[in-house]
Amino acid sequence: MIVKNDQLSFISGLKEFEILVKQESPLWAYNLRKESLDRFAKRGLPTVKEEEWKYTNVASLKEHQFQIASDSSKMAQLKELKAYYRKEEINLVFINGVFSEELSNLKKLPKGLKVADVNDAALYSQKEAAFVLQRYPQDQDDSFIALNKAFLYRVAFVQIDPKTVIKPLIHIIHVTDAVKSSVSSFPRSLIMLGKSAEAQVMESHLSFSDDTYLTNALSDIVLDQDAKLVYCKAQGESKNAFHIGTTRVWQERDSQLDSFSLMTGGKITRNNLNIVLNGSGAHATLNGLYLINGNQHVDNHTAVDHRPPNCTSTQLYKGILYDAARAVFNGKIFVKKEAQQTNSYQLNKNLLLGPDCRVDTKPQLEIFADDVKCTHGATIGQLNEDEIFYLQTRCIPKSQAVEMLARGFVDDILNRIADESIVAKLNKLLAEYFQD
Amino acid sequence: MVKPIQENELVNREYKYGFVTDIEVEPFPKGLSEKVIKMISEKKSEPDFMLEWRLKAYRHWKTLKEPKWPNFKYGPIDYQAISYYSAPKKKTNLKSLDEVDKELLNTFERLGIPLTEQKRLTGVAVDAVFDSVSVGTTHQGELAKAGVIFCSMSEAISHHPELIKKYLGSVVPHSDNFFAALNSAVFSDGSFCYIPKGVRCPLELSTYFRINAADSGQFERTLIIAEDDSYVSYLEGCTAPSRDQNQLHAAVVELVAMNNAEIKYSTVQNWYSGDKNGNGGIYNFVTKRGKCIGTNSKISWTQVEAGAAITWKYPSVILQGDNSVGKFYSVALTNNRMQADTGTKMIHIGKNTKSTIVSKGISTDYSNNNYRGLVKIMPTAHGARNFSQCDSMLVGNNCSANTFPYIEVKNSSAVLEHEASTSKISAEQMFYLRSRGLDLEGAVSLIINGFCKEVFKELPLEFSVEAIKLLEMKLEGSVG
Repeated sequence: MIVKNDQLSFISGLKEFEILVKQESPLWAYNLRKESLDRFAKRGLPTVKEEEWKYTNVASLKEHQFQIASDSSKMAQLKELKAYYRKEEINLVFINGVFSEELSNLKKLPKGLKVADVNDAALYSQKEAAFVLQRYPQDQDDSFIALNKAFLYRVAFVQIDPKTVIKPLIHIIHVTDAVKSSVSSFPRSLIMLGKSAEAQVMESHLSFSDDTYLTNALSDIVLDQDAKLVYCKAQGESKNAFHIGTTRVWQERDSQLDSFSLMTGGKITRNNLNIVLNGSGAHATLNGLYLINGNQHVDNHTAVDHRPPNCTSTQLYKGILYDAARAVFNGKIFVKKEAQQTNSYQLNKNLLLGPDCRVDTKPQLEIFADDVKCTHGATIGQLNEDEIFYLQTRCIPKSQAVEMLARGFVDDILNRIADESIVAKLNKLLAEYFQD
Repeated sequence: MVKPIQENELVNREYKYGFVTDIEVEPFPKGLSEKVIKMISEKKSEPDFMLEWRLKAYRHWKTLKEPKWPNFKYGPIDYQAISYYSAPKKKTNLKSLDEVDKELLNTFERLGIPLTEQKRLTGVAVDAVFDSVSVGTTHQGELAKAGVIFCSMSEAISHHPELIKKYLGSVVPHSDNFFAALNSAVFSDGSFCYIPKGVRCPLELSTYFRINAADSGQFERTLIIAEDDSYVSYLEGCTAPSRDQNQLHAAVVELVAMNNAEIKYSTVQNWYSGDKNGNGGIYNFVTKRGKCIGTNSKISWTQVEAGAAITWKYPSVILQGDNSVGKFYSVALTNNRMQADTGTKMIHIGKNTKSTIVSKGISTDYSNNNYRGLVKIMPTAHGARNFSQCDSMLVGNNCSANTFPYIEVKNSSAVLEHEASTSKISAEQMFYLRSRGLDLEGAVSLIINGFCKEVFKELPLEFSVEAIKLLEMKLEGSVG
C-alpha cells in the first residue's frame, strides 16, 4: 500500500506501520490514509517559496530519518511526567503517539463525557465523517495535515453531551521519548462539545530528553450551539525536536472558545490555529505566548474566519526571544461580506532580549463587509531602560531586574487564564526562564 | 431642510479629464522586439551606452514572468499589442514653447497645467510629458541660475550622460522586477532633476503625465539626484482619456539622496479608472524607490492615488546612510471596480535609521483596496525605529479592504510599532453633522477629510487643495 517515494524520504518504518494498522483498521481508515498519502506525495514538503511558509524552512527535516513509533513499552522518565499529572483530572496519555492505558485514568468518567483513545474505530469513523470531513474538504488539506492523516493510528477522542458541564480538566498528554532512534509521531485529537456543553481541555506535547524527533499533530474541535470551551495547547518538546501542529476550531451560534497556546520547546515549531466562526454571536479568544532561546524557531499562524454577523474575536500573542532565537507570527482575520457588526482585535508583542534575535511578523486583515471594527497591531522592542534603572537603584542586580520585567511581560498574559491547574503546568514549562 | 441629492446627476458624473486631444502623432508599430528598442533609441538619438542598457534590460525581461502575487484580477496583457512609442509630431526643433502645437498647449490648459508664459507666475516649474515625450519644461532659466538641472530625460541623456551613466538604474536596476525591466528597455521620456551641493531648490518642481494615444503604453522614467545638503520638493500628476481598452503605464522613479539631502516627492495620480462596469482604464504598474545614501539624508513619499483601473505601486526607501529618515504618506481611494495594491517598503541598513508609514485607504462601490507594506531591519541597522499606521475605511457593502504588512527584523535593538484599523463612517457621526445643517455629501467629505488629514498636510498647498477636491469628486454619489 505505502509506496516509498522521495517526498517521504525522511520517514522510515513504513512497512512495520502497514503491518500494524492492517490488523485492526476498517476500510474507511485505510482509504483515508491512502488518499492522504497520495496528497502528501503530490504536494511534498512546503518550501520557503510558498507564502504560508515564507519564514519557516522545514527542508532540514530531510536530513533526518524519523522512525514511525509503534511501541510504548520503553518509556523511561515517568517521574517527570508526574509533575504534569493530577489524579483528580482526566488524563489521556500517549507515549510516542501510542495510547498508554496504565498511565491514563479513564475508569470513572463523569456522566455525559466520552473519552477514548479510538480503538473504537466505528465511533470515530462516524464522527470523523459527520463532524470533520464535511467541514474541511480533504482536498484543501495542507502538506502536514495530509501527512498526519496518512499515518492515522490512534486518536484522542473527547465528546461531551449536550447540556453537560465537565468540571475537571481533561488533559491529553503526548510524550515523546526517542529511546532507540529518531521517531515520528502523528497525534490526532477530536474534541466535540454538544449544545450548551462546557469543558476545559488541555493538550500537552512533552519530552524529558533532548532527542531529535518529529511531532506532526492535528486537532479538530467542534463547538455546537452555545458550547463553551477553554482550550490550552502547551508545547514543551525537546530542544532538538520538530513540532508541526494544526488546530482547527469550528464554532456554531453563541459558542465561546477561550484558547491559549504556549510554545517553548522544539528546534523548529510551526503552530497553526484556524478558527471558523460559523454562527452569529460566537466569540473566540486566541491568546498565545512563546519563550525561546538558543537557535530555536517558533512560527505561530492564526486565522480567524468571520462568516456570519455579530461575531467577535480577540487575539494577543506575546513572545520573548533570547540569544539568537527566531519568531514568526502571522495572523489573518477574514471578514466575509455577510459578517456585519464584526468586532475583531489582534495584537502581537515581541520582546527581544538576545543579541541576535529575529522576528518576522505579518498581521493581516481581509475585509469584505463595511460595518465592522477591526484593528491589529504589532510591536517589537526591548525592555525600558528607565524601568531597569529604577530597579537597579533599589539594589536589584541588572540580571534580576531583567528577569522581573520579563516575568511581568509574561504574567500579563498568563493571568488571563482562569484555571490554576493550567497555569501551574505552564509555569513548569517556563521554569528554565524564571527562578520562582 | 437639506436639499435632496440628485442621485442620477452625481452617479453619472464623468471623469473630467477623459477627453482626447486630436493631434497628429507618430506612433510606432505595435509590438516589442530588439528592433523596436533600437528604433526608440535611434529616434531619441541616444548614445550607444543607452541602447546597450536598454537591450540588456529587454533580454532580461524576456526571461521574467508577470508577477501574479498581487491581490487583484485582470485579464492577460498582450505585450505585443502595445505601441511602445507615441509622440506628437514635431515639425522642426523647437526653440520655445510658443512653437509647440496649439492643440497640445490647449490640452494642458484644459488640464489646468501652467505651461505658458502668462501662467508662470504660479511659481512651479513644470515638465509636461505627453504620451511618450516631454513637450516642455518651464522656468529652466531661473533654475539654471541656482545650478539646478531640471529637464526631460532625453535631454539629460544627451547633455549630461555622465550623470545618467552613474545614476540611471542605480536604485532600481533593470533586473529589479518584471515591469521595471520592461520600463528600462522601452522607456521613452520622463523628468530628470539634479540639485547640486548645498542648493535649496527655489521652486517646486513638477511633472505632468498625460496618456493620449490609444493602444499605446506610457513608460516614463524619472531620476532625481540631490547632492550633499540640498533640498528639493517634486510633484507629479497624471491623467488619461476615457477609452474602452486598458492601457499600460509602467513607470520607474529613482531618487538618490546624499549627505544631509532631502527629497520630497508628491504624487496626485488620477489616471482614467474605467467606467462603472470596470471597462477600460489605466493599468498603473509603477516602481518607485529612493535611496538614502548619505548620512542624515531624508526621503519622503506622499501620494494620493485616486485613479487607474489597477494600481500596483510600492514607493520604497532604502535607508543606507546612518541616521537617514524615510517617510511614506498615502491616501488611496478606490471606487467603481478599481483595484489597488499599494504600500511601501522601508529597508533599514544604516544605524539609527527611522521610518514612518501612514496609509489611509478608502474603498467604495465594488472596488478592492489593499495595503501591502514591508519594513525590513537588516542586521547592521542598530537602533532602527519604525512606526506604521494603516487605516482603512469602507463605504458600502460590496467593496473590500485588506492589509498585508510584512515586518522582518534581524536586529535585536530595533523598535517597531505597527497598527491598523478598519472602520466605517458611523451613523452617529453622520447624524451629528446632518443635524448641524450639512448635506450628505458635505458631511461625508468632512469626515473623509479628517480621516486623511495627516496625509494631506504633507502635500504642498496647491496639491493639497487639488487632492481634497479630487476625493470629493470621486466620492460623490457613492454614499447614501
